[in-house]
Amino acid sequence: MAHQTVQPILVHFGTLFTFCKLLGLYPHDLQAFRGIHTLQSSKIGTAIVVVTMLAVVVLYNLLIYFFSSEDHDLKASQSTLTFVIGIFLTYIGLGMMITDQLSALRNQSKTGELYERIRAVDEQLLKENVYVDISKTAKNILLMIVLTVVSELIILISTYITLVDLTDWKSILWLFSCFPTLYNSLDKIWFANTLSALKQRFFVINTALEDMVESHERLKRWTENGGDGGGQIFRRPSIANVSIDPSLEYLYKELTHMEAVKAYNMARNKISPIAHSLNSFGDALETPKKPYKYTSQPPTFNMVYESELNKDIEKVEEKLNNLCQLHDEICEIGKLVNELWSYPILVLMAYGFLIFTAQLYFLYCATQGQAIPSLFRSAKSATITTIFLSYTAGKCIYLIYLSWKTSLESKRTGICLHKCGVVADNNLLYEIVNHLSLKLLNHSVDFSACGFFTLDMETLYGVSGGITSYLIILIQFNLAAQQAKDASNAAETNYNTMLTTEAGNTTALMDYFTTTFMPYAQTDLY
Amino acid sequence: MNLLLQIFSLLFGLVPFNRTEFDSNIIVDYSIVLVMPVFYLFCYYYVNFHEQSIFKLAECNSICNFSGKLLMHLGCFLYLSIYFLTLLRQKKFYIEFGKRLYEIDELSEKCIQLVGNRNKLFVAKTKRLFYVTWIILLATFAFAIFYDVSNIFDYYGPYCFLTNMVFTFPYVAGSIVQGMFASYVSVISERFSTLNVLFEKINHESEKKNSPIAVMDIESDTRKDSNRGPAIISELSKRKTAGLQQKNAKSDDLSNNDSDFAEEDDSADDAYSFGEYDETRSSDGKTSEINLPNLFKLHDKILSLSVLVNAEFGAQCVPYMAACFVITIFGIFLETKVMFIVGGKNELMDYVIYLYVIWSFTTMMVAYFVLRLCCNTNAHSKQSAMIVHEIMQKKPAFMLGNDIYYNKMKAFTLQFLHWEGYFQFNGIGLFALDYTFIFSTVSAATSYLIVLLQFDMTSILKTEGLTPRVLTPDANAQADNS
Repeated sequence: MAHQTVQPILVHFGTLFTFCKLLGLYPHDLQAFRGIHTLQSSKIGTAIVVVTMLAVVVLYNLLIYFFSSEDHDLKASQSTLTFVIGIFLTYIGLGMMITDQLSALRNQSKTGELYERIRAVDEQLLKENVYVDISKTAKNILLMIVLTVVSELIILISTYITLVDLTDWKSILWLFSCFPTLYNSLDKIWFANTLSALKQRFFVINTALEDMVESHERLKRWTENGGDGGGQIFRRPSIANVSIDPSLEYLYKELTHMEAVKAYNMARNKISPIAHSLNSFGDALETPKKPYKYTSQPPTFNMVYESELNKDIEKVEEKLNNLCQLHDEICEIGKLVNELWSYPILVLMAYGFLIFTAQLYFLYCATQGQAIPSLFRSAKSATITTIFLSYTAGKCIYLIYLSWKTSLESKRTGICLHKCGVVADNNLLYEIVNHLSLKLLNHSVDFSACGFFTLDMETLYGVSGGITSYLIILIQFNLAAQQAKDASNAAETNYNTMLTTEAGNTTALMDYFTTTFMPYAQTDLY
Repeated sequence: MNLLLQIFSLLFGLVPFNRTEFDSNIIVDYSIVLVMPVFYLFCYYYVNFHEQSIFKLAECNSICNFSGKLLMHLGCFLYLSIYFLTLLRQKKFYIEFGKRLYEIDELSEKCIQLVGNRNKLFVAKTKRLFYVTWIILLATFAFAIFYDVSNIFDYYGPYCFLTNMVFTFPYVAGSIVQGMFASYVSVISERFSTLNVLFEKINHESEKKNSPIAVMDIESDTRKDSNRGPAIISELSKRKTAGLQQKNAKSDDLSNNDSDFAEEDDSADDAYSFGEYDETRSSDGKTSEINLPNLFKLHDKILSLSVLVNAEFGAQCVPYMAACFVITIFGIFLETKVMFIVGGKNELMDYVIYLYVIWSFTTMMVAYFVLRLCCNTNAHSKQSAMIVHEIMQKKPAFMLGNDIYYNKMKAFTLQFLHWEGYFQFNGIGLFALDYTFIFSTVSAATSYLIVLLQFDMTSILKTEGLTPRVLTPDANAQADNS
């Protein structure tokens, strides 16, 4: 068992890393990644990232400059509201990309450490006879990349063909409108997969605990049957114990020894001595009370099997300690992940919220035949808007959903731990479990965006309500502006035009309702 | 009553036949499940695009057209989302649920047997409220369906079912799914209340048996207090020590205020109390506290069962609640802006508006029952933890000098804390299914309504030839004159 080495999770990130490196999103050393699968900071990489960033910023600004010539009449014809929203939202995509790249630069050294810690956790888990299956990661990453690229390309090409003036050579610049979102998506794929790796580790710990409960239940059933006289059943639990025995003992030595060796790891160092002292304390407490406790046990209990169970429990207790430490370590890693990506996530959520509202608002404007900012020309077509919105919403909602699930999974560990305690029904184990459970209760991992809001589904519920109400308000402003304009027009022309505006008003009502309740349908489906 | 629900859900194609058997014919099982949506989609297509649809009638003005279409599309969204979620829920769920429920019942039966005298524990409750609720629900649904059908019947005769399939069916189907959810939750709630009765029984026993020991305890405690200083907290102990203090005054004189000696005295007292406690225990024989580990296990199992149920049905709550919300808002909007002003002038429009009102009422009622049941279940599960804390506070006989029960109960309450953080009935995490949801919905609805009610509908109404009767008496007079 000990010979088996753990594959670092980064092996499966190969495609993604190469892709990011090609586009100049991540500054890490390509050779080191290829060779030993670690993320090391490199100066050339940093230079490349900075150059790419500057290039994209310049080209994007050129794009805005070129297309803004179309916007001159917009300022005259439309309400200032539409114009201001357009200007503001044009730059938020660019800002998002810059944030991603800057945080990638800032976190250069820490990212490597992060994956190293995950690998250490994997190794520990393997020592506990828990194998983490990471083979699916590569497939997931590939799927996400393909989805991202496909939706980016669809949006880009369809907009380019249908809505951009092809004859002008400068229209090639439109290509750069997709760069910010593409960069952002790649960065978020990186985040999502790290997060799901953490979730998987929590899940594995929980399953390990539940397996222990099951095996104990089986053992108990054997114990009860043993009174009737079942010779062969006795053999199987003992075999199970023997197979676990050496590895556990080895682990215990390893753990006590390790405190001295691996001193760099703060979190593990903090907890081990507590757990250790507890062991001796619990033992000392246990011994004088033993005879009394046995008399209080139900009389159906068989003495031979009881000792068997007891011996098992002492090992189980060690295992529980180790699992809890691992849980703690994963929580710490989760906090680190959250910290590394806190600004990008915050900007992404802000971007999602604003873009969702704005795109729907401009869609409404486009259906009313009003001019819209040139960079939001995709809003002229309902299909492209739908694709774009589901792409953006999918990105945001998947991240929120994943962090919610991870947080829940980490909370479930406490429940599984208590199941062990209840099944074993042993005083010593109860003490251990109570202690560990208090620790787990304090050590829950909650993902938040810079601490502004937690990333869970309730936030999503709030945000969808917010989008709806802001949209209604925006549309009402728009309607009021239109009515004012119509009224001033009507004063000049004759009475007949009044009737047409009224008829138009009815359709406006229809459109208003359909556009208003679109976010409902879309957000609720996810 | 559950049977009725089951029959309806089978008929509406929301549950496969033979749902508790693994190896039955798939085609037979899923026949109705597959036929119903096809039929629904056919009707949807027919009503939308055919000549004879309700929107092509001459009486159907723009408001009626808009509101009818909204109702129809909303129904389509509701039905399709619920249907796909139903398809996702395979037979495995029903089998798993049955298995777990059986395990729980077996375990609780064992516990009840240990306690003995079952009849004393479970007094048959009068189920009046239960029946009244069912009758009200059934009556509302019967009225709603009857109203729908009878009105459309006037227009189309026997073909009315095509239109009704589009207008009525999705809401009924959604309500039935919610009803299934509610029935599962009520099953869980029942198990919780059984559990609470068993906990309560232990609580009572400890109360009865240990009153003398409790007094002894207080005495020794207060003696400590009175020796060491004025740290007496409760009124009760004050009263009890009133007599004791006189005695103590004498003994204090004798022992020259030696606190060490007093403490020795205390320990002797404790030893005495242990001896007495052992006596009472041996004379009593079996008590129900040996149930405790089983009860804890039971609590855990029921909670994990509710996690299972919530995972299956929580997602279906979301479209239902959303549809209910939209219908209610537009129902109020249409009622105040259209019905009050021009009611009774166009029968078809009135019919559509009444549809809104009726269905908002029924869906709200179903949603309320679901929320109430979930809340009750939550409260029941919380109550168990409360009772356990009460037992711990009373320090009954079986806990004295024996850490294991104390640790057990502590473990249980800690586990409950974990459960509270982990699980609550919710719609895929978007909202918790309890009364707070009502509050948040009402506040959201108010703000939307304020925005909606600002719409000026009079011009639209005028173009449809519906002169407001209250607002413009002059116009009415003019019309009469001409």
